[in-house]
Amino acid sequence: MSEGNSVILGMNGVTKIYGDGDSATVALDNIEFNANAGEVVVIMGPSGAGKTTFLTIAGALLQPTSGTVTISGEDITNMGEKGLPDVRREKIGFVFQSFNLLESLTALENVMLVMTPDRARGEAGKNRAKELMSIMGLNHRLHSLPKNLSGGEKQRVAIARALANNPDLILADEPTANLDAKRGREVMLLLRQIAYEMHKTVVIVSHDHRIREVASRIVWLEDGTFRSDVETAKDPVCSRVVEVAGAPQVEHIGVLFYFCGEQCQKIFQATPEKFSDAAAS
Amino acid sequence: MLLVARKNLFSERTRLAISVGGVALSVLLIMLLLALYRGWDEKVGGFVEASDIDVWVASEGAKDFLAAASLLPAGGQEGQQAAQYLDSRSDIEKWSQLIVRQMEGVKVEVEGEGQEKLGKEMNLQYVGFDLETGLGGPIEIKEGRGDPGANEVVVDEALDKRYGVGLDDIVRAGGTDWKVVGVSKGGDFVATQTVFVNHEQAQLALKMEEKTTFVVIQMTDTADIQDFRDTIERNSPELVTFSREEFATNTRERVLSNVIPILLMVLGLAFIVGLAVSGLTIYTATVEKQREYGILKAVGFKNSFLYRVVLEQSLVTGVLGFVIGVGVTFVITLFASDFVPQFVTYVRPVDIAFVAVVTLIMSAIAAYIPVRRLASIDPVAVFKA
Repeated sequence: MSEGNSVILGMNGVTKIYGDGDSATVALDNIEFNANAGEVVVIMGPSGAGKTTFLTIAGALLQPTSGTVTISGEDITNMGEKGLPDVRREKIGFVFQSFNLLESLTALENVMLVMTPDRARGEAGKNRAKELMSIMGLNHRLHSLPKNLSGGEKQRVAIARALANNPDLILADEPTANLDAKRGREVMLLLRQIAYEMHKTVVIVSHDHRIREVASRIVWLEDGTFRSDVETAKDPVCSRVVEVAGAPQVEHIGVLFYFCGEQCQKIFQATPEKFSDAAAS
Repeated sequence: MLLVARKNLFSERTRLAISVGGVALSVLLIMLLLALYRGWDEKVGGFVEASDIDVWVASEGAKDFLAAASLLPAGGQEGQQAAQYLDSRSDIEKWSQLIVRQMEGVKVEVEGEGQEKLGKEMNLQYVGFDLETGLGGPIEIKEGRGDPGANEVVVDEALDKRYGVGLDDIVRAGGTDWKVVGVSKGGDFVATQTVFVNHEQAQLALKMEEKTTFVVIQMTDTADIQDFRDTIERNSPELVTFSREEFATNTRERVLSNVIPILLMVLGLAFIVGLAVSGLTIYTATVEKQREYGILKAVGFKNSFLYRVVLEQSLVTGVLGFVIGVGVTFVITLFASDFVPQFVTYVRPVDIAFVAVVTLIMSAIAAYIPVRRLASIDPVAVFKA
């Protein structure tokens, strides 16, 4: 594990273009990004902004068209398919929106499965998995199958799995999107705990405004580039963070409300009193 | 075994049962067909091999025991000259004439004065052998006597199993009623069974006075059999000679040459059935778990690991199917011939090993297409909710 404020995830001049010629689409455009050990970076932005592309390049799942990507100081840009799986397994922990646990394995087995052979050997692997499950407050769920776990429990198992190989970097894709407010908050606090107490770098891609609460910093990704001059607001209907400029808006009792789209705007207009108090809070 | 492979396999019990059942059925079919082939091979060639005859002499055109389309002089000047020649040779231990003819027969039961009940028609390999030398006679006597006299016959035990012909019964064949005085072993040719009478009785019944089908010869231990055969064929071009092995092989071919292509075709079909069932179930299981394989790829597992998972599932299915298939084969072969007498089987260890290899090949092929699909899974897809 890297110590201090060392850069764990570094992206220099990263560009990703899908297709070529007239059909070429620029998903990321000359991105500069650093994430340090012990911080939680939240990446927000509208749909189609390039968030998933960013995450998959950061996760060593996709190679950029140009630029360099480093993880824990190691340049992974030109690593072939032979080397990238080892980087993913040893240096990165993934937390997905839909949990992505293996359905036929118990919670404990899901955590143990991803361990590298040297970690998984003998009782040590099992003990490590149990310890992580204990940190996640899931001692009583070790032998439960995913189908018998609640959404919050599944996500906590997924976080334990992400930590199984003690990686420097945790990448989370909409980790609270499938959870209710209470479970979502539990997961957010867990991610913060991981960054602060375990000194991991946690990079979260999310639409959820609640996640701001745990962020060390928030960056706005739009049209493949990071923007610093973005004014954002919370959509009172779906709770998404939206860019104020260009968003549909409604004035109610002297306050301007912004929406991610026309559908949320219409829902709000039908019963504004239902949402305005929550939004104000 | 890999945890994921084991869990995937045993978490879907119904699919596992179908997959294992398909392989087991395939193994069962292949094993049974091989066992049947071996059983027939053993039965059909066994009589000739077990006889003490080193050289079979026949007229040109005859080549095996079952068709027996040979006619040789047994008396007259020609016959006497032949006998003198054979008697004069010091390398011949003994020789005799042997009559063989296929015919139909029935068991006759006398129910009252002038009333009789006829049993089912039987395909018989009617053999007239020389009682003195015993060459071409019963291989082993199980019950009664092995030296049939006038209007007496020794029947193979298979006739008892199939038609209920036993000691003291009457068999009508070739226009003569024969009383069963002995029951022998080793004369079952599956499609036909041997009945033995003495040579003179056969000549009389078949109106073959001074004729015979074969001359059968037992050579001394030091005799040069090939040299003897060459001499016979050189001096008498109208004759053909066969060693014991050749004659047994020709007899087998008479029956099995028509069966082997069918057996091979059914063997191929059985293989395809097993392959299709196991392949399809492994494939559907892989497609169903496609997202999970994508997750494994995303979190850092290499394709080789995923291939092993699928291959192990396929191999475990194959091994379970093989064990069940072989087990059921043994059970069936133990009892089948009691119900269907023609179901003569013989399971050889080498055939079990062969089927084991076939099952492994089946499992490997069944895993091939799913493995190719795994290679094309894009781990990025798991980021989609």
